[in-house]
Amino acid sequence: MATSTSHPAASSWLPSFLRREATVAPPGFNRWLIPPAALAVHLCIGQVYATSVYKNALVAHFDTSLTAIGVIFSIAIVMLGLSAAVLGTWVDHNGPRAAMVAAALFWSTGFMVAALGISSEQLWLVYLGYGVIGGIGLGIGYISPVSTLIKWFPDRPGLATGLAIMGFGGGALIAGPLSARLLALYDSGYDASDPASIASGAAVASLFVTLGIVYLAYMLFGAFTVRVPADDWQPDGWDPSQVKQKKMVTTASVSASNAIKTPQFWLLWVVLFCNVTAGIGILEQAAPMSQDFFRVGDTSTVSAAAAAGFVGLLSLANMGGRFIWSSTSDVIGRKPIYMLYLGGGMVLYVLLALVGHTSTALFVLLAAVILSFYGGGFATVPAYLRDLFGTFEVGAIHGRLLTAWSAAGVAGPLIVNKFLDAEGEPGKLTAADYRLALLTMVVLLAIGFVSNLLIKPVAERFHEPDDASLPKEGVSA
Amino acid sequence: MTARLVVAWVLVLVPLLYGLVETVRKAATLFTG
Repeated sequence: MATSTSHPAASSWLPSFLRREATVAPPGFNRWLIPPAALAVHLCIGQVYATSVYKNALVAHFDTSLTAIGVIFSIAIVMLGLSAAVLGTWVDHNGPRAAMVAAALFWSTGFMVAALGISSEQLWLVYLGYGVIGGIGLGIGYISPVSTLIKWFPDRPGLATGLAIMGFGGGALIAGPLSARLLALYDSGYDASDPASIASGAAVASLFVTLGIVYLAYMLFGAFTVRVPADDWQPDGWDPSQVKQKKMVTTASVSASNAIKTPQFWLLWVVLFCNVTAGIGILEQAAPMSQDFFRVGDTSTVSAAAAAGFVGLLSLANMGGRFIWSSTSDVIGRKPIYMLYLGGGMVLYVLLALVGHTSTALFVLLAAVILSFYGGGFATVPAYLRDLFGTFEVGAIHGRLLTAWSAAGVAGPLIVNKFLDAEGEPGKLTAADYRLALLTMVVLLAIGFVSNLLIKPVAERFHEPDDASLPKEGVSA
Repeated sequence: MTARLVVAWVLVLVPLLYGLVETVRKAATLFTG
């Protein structure tokens, strides 16, 4: 009989159908239903990386600057990191269904409030709606399926979390073209294929309402599909004793509050920060960079359309890397795969800086592999945390680690833009002007590489007592 | 359970496939100009 995994610190005010004990899977439940449930959430919240579609429309509608509109995205990403860090423990204690419903409500409400702000021409309402409320939904949604996936796939945690976090990258691929089509539907004067065409504010407001409704439905589908495994469940044919034989994989439990006291957590924070900073540096600058690297005089051999294609290719590499590299880490181990991301990344960045301008194909190949490592770094980190701290509060620990992402989101563009500003004006830069910025990324990756090498198993004094991670009460499912 | 599994995967894979096709089409301009 399946027993609950009710946590002693779970919220008592939650409706019973949202509580963890209501989501315990019955015998015979197929664990392959969990990845689509997780994907349903991540595909929706991945929209946050598709804001460029309506950015110019909002600039024109509010008669303001690109920076003022860019703040909406920045607030959302900062709120993602903060809410994941602060609410991670709540997510772990109350289970994935409550977390996914909360994420759906926040994310959807964020769109609705932002739509109201656009309609009433109140930019602060867009900041509050999409940025603050939606950002909280992003943070809760991002971590909501992680610990559940790890518990369902103890034999392949990298593959499972890679699938879900790949969805975050995939969400932008869907939302970009879908938003362009919807804007054209709501504003007959808007032509998505013409970069100079700008949609009306009313069309963007209608788009936000549509996305809010669609995302609510999709995320609720994920919430009511997800299940947690019974305490005594394990995959058929899986031998837990194999896990114990790996030096870097613990069978102990470390709480989130203890995890942040360990050097391993902060070393991994530095690893993630360095890997993300280096990747964001390229992502942020991708389109102009591809043109600048092949500039002859005032013109570039890479057209604006081809530069947009380059950005699309990087999105694919980013998404593919999340699944491929994270799955590979199940075979070769987490520490070696980060040695590849960081060490291999250093070599690729040096090649990009020194010989990237000699051939378009080489440039594209180097950047694509770098971005696949960037995506891989995101997707592999939950499994690395599982290896080091156990499954007890891995979602909460992951939430706290995501503050590295927020910090990198600020540092990456800042580093690249500072160097490029010192070299010259946009539109006149060449490959040589990027050299210092790219070599700085090599130094960052080297710091990350050394940090990864220093990661050792967590000391026993941080482990929970043997019975602490077990539920205090059992309820029949 | 099998039907539920198929429906769940179709619900997430169809939009993902749409996004992939659109992105590949966009990326193709890199090589076709």
